Amino acid sequence: MSRIIKNYVDGEWLESGSADLIPVHDPATCELLAHCPDSTSADVDAAVSAAREAFDEWRSTPVLVRAQYMHHFKVMVEDNFEEISRIVVREHGKTMDEARGEVRRGVESIDFAMSVPVLMRSDGLEDISSGIDETTVRQPAGVFAAITPFNFPFMVPLWFLPTAIACGNTFILKPSPQTPLSTEYLFEMLDELDLPEGVVNLVNGGVTSATALMEHPDVTGVSFVGSSPVAKIIYETCTRNGKRVQAQGGAKNYIAVMPDANIEASVSNILGAAYGCAGQRCLAAAVAVGVGDAYDQLKDELAKRVAGLKVGYGLDETTQMGTVISDSAVERIESMIGQSEGEGAEIVVDGRGFHVDGYEQGSWVGPTLIADVQPDTTMANEEVFGPVLSLMKADSFDEAVDIINQSRYGNAASIFTNNGKHAREFKYSINAGNIGVNIGVAAPSASFPFGGQKDSFFGDLHGQGMDSIEFYTERKIVIERWV
Amino acid sequence: MSSLNTFGAILSHAIDLEAQFSDWYAGIGEAAKAKAADKRRRKLERARRENVVEITLEPIEGLNADDYALDLSDNSPAGQAAAAQVAARFYADVAPKINVRAAQRALERCGKEHAR
Repeated sequence: MSRIIKNYVDGEWLESGSADLIPVHDPATCELLAHCPDSTSADVDAAVSAAREAFDEWRSTPVLVRAQYMHHFKVMVEDNFEEISRIVVREHGKTMDEARGEVRRGVESIDFAMSVPVLMRSDGLEDISSGIDETTVRQPAGVFAAITPFNFPFMVPLWFLPTAIACGNTFILKPSPQTPLSTEYLFEMLDELDLPEGVVNLVNGGVTSATALMEHPDVTGVSFVGSSPVAKIIYETCTRNGKRVQAQGGAKNYIAVMPDANIEASVSNILGAAYGCAGQRCLAAAVAVGVGDAYDQLKDELAKRVAGLKVGYGLDETTQMGTVISDSAVERIESMIGQSEGEGAEIVVDGRGFHVDGYEQGSWVGPTLIADVQPDTTMANEEVFGPVLSLMKADSFDEAVDIINQSRYGNAASIFTNNGKHAREFKYSINAGNIGVNIGVAAPSASFPFGGQKDSFFGDLHGQGMDSIEFYTERKIVIERWV
Repeated sequence: MSSLNTFGAILSHAIDLEAQFSDWYAGIGEAAKAKAADKRRRKLERARRENVVEITLEPIEGLNADDYALDLSDNSPAGQAAAAQVAARFYADVAPKINVRAAQRALERCGKEHAR
């Protein structure tokens, strides 16, 4: 029996009250790494009580002191950068570069939280009437929770936790039970920081603990990243329970490639965008729309280079694409490829039945390229969350824009072009929250909100950037007269 | 054959190369050169940590680690110069393949130091 991960509540590592355990595997080697408890409502209640208890003292801790904790936290992450990256590789299956990139972006979010003393400042106006002054004050709002996904197990929690606590709130994290090890490591570092007990809490588990957090009366707000059907449930449950909520859902991200684009350079970037993290990211490029002559050039160049990608174990630095998360993911992705074939698309590079020598038990899907995808078919509309890039053809820029805007998702879209007019028109007219111009993965840095529209986002304030300051604070208006 | 086909593979190879130089120089009594190699190693580790940009990670083609194997058996000044030349060639070849300027600059500087 491998070790059972503990929860972190009120400054202590505690065993969950649950006897239900979820195995955590390395998806490349199939090694059993640990067991994750499926924590109970009582476990959540203990964490919320600790967070509620800690709130009053923490909110009155000077903001510069709170920011200083973030500085020390950042130093710890930098000092343990390689170790964290290796843990991410082992529990997720991505490549070492991708894991390092994830940890780097986590550090950026801590950097952002260090700016809270500036970002929480508000404004005021003297003499709104004779001798009367009016000011706004931002105050922390209470206990916040985040429910985070498997695909960026270290980075996504850091979109939320540092800013939430730097603003003076207390916090509960429920990571994915598929990838709980890097968040366990994150909390070991937080434990070393010596924050007051109860400021940060970790509850491992699945639906039971997520539901308990959403329904708990002492939780002020919930952040979520995951699939769209779940994001919608999270949004509805949280709003029904009177909470703030930001729920980021799934995606079907389109890329338009214009005939004037530098095809070779564009393909290099598209390869990273489509097959990076084995396509398991909400900003992954899913469909490339070749406009006019670009279609054939794109198809030829991609066919040549996709098949050459080196797939393997992420800890081998020469690996260019890792595993998907589980065997059930393999089954789902392969089934969708089969469905697409049945709908008449051409499987140019087929990643089904893929094996890697030495890792025969791993959850592999090879990089897959599908051409001649039609607008009303599976690959044009359904999120795959795997290493599959579909190609569609458009006769004109306007047709490409129409195809992209028909998607029910609106997370991201990109254009590859050397024509400023097309780039401008694309930015202007595409209904998606993150737009890339000659960038396939339009991932906002920590000081910008992570966009998302239509079925890709449920809520009002996004994660990251000033939206996160708004989300984690209350604004109070003070009107004063001294006579 | 080991490919230098990713950002991390290139930076890690450079880090390993400088570690080899540092150990070798220390072993043959070239303390100043050993210290310089160790300083380059630390700079490269920082470059690998701080300049890995998720949105521009792209496959890299056309580089192989075997083309830059060091021969550290000849401790003479000529042997040292030959090893430094291999390193300088490595840095000259790999730097243009890196699409993050800060990391590229770190590699270029290492190359210049070996070429002196």
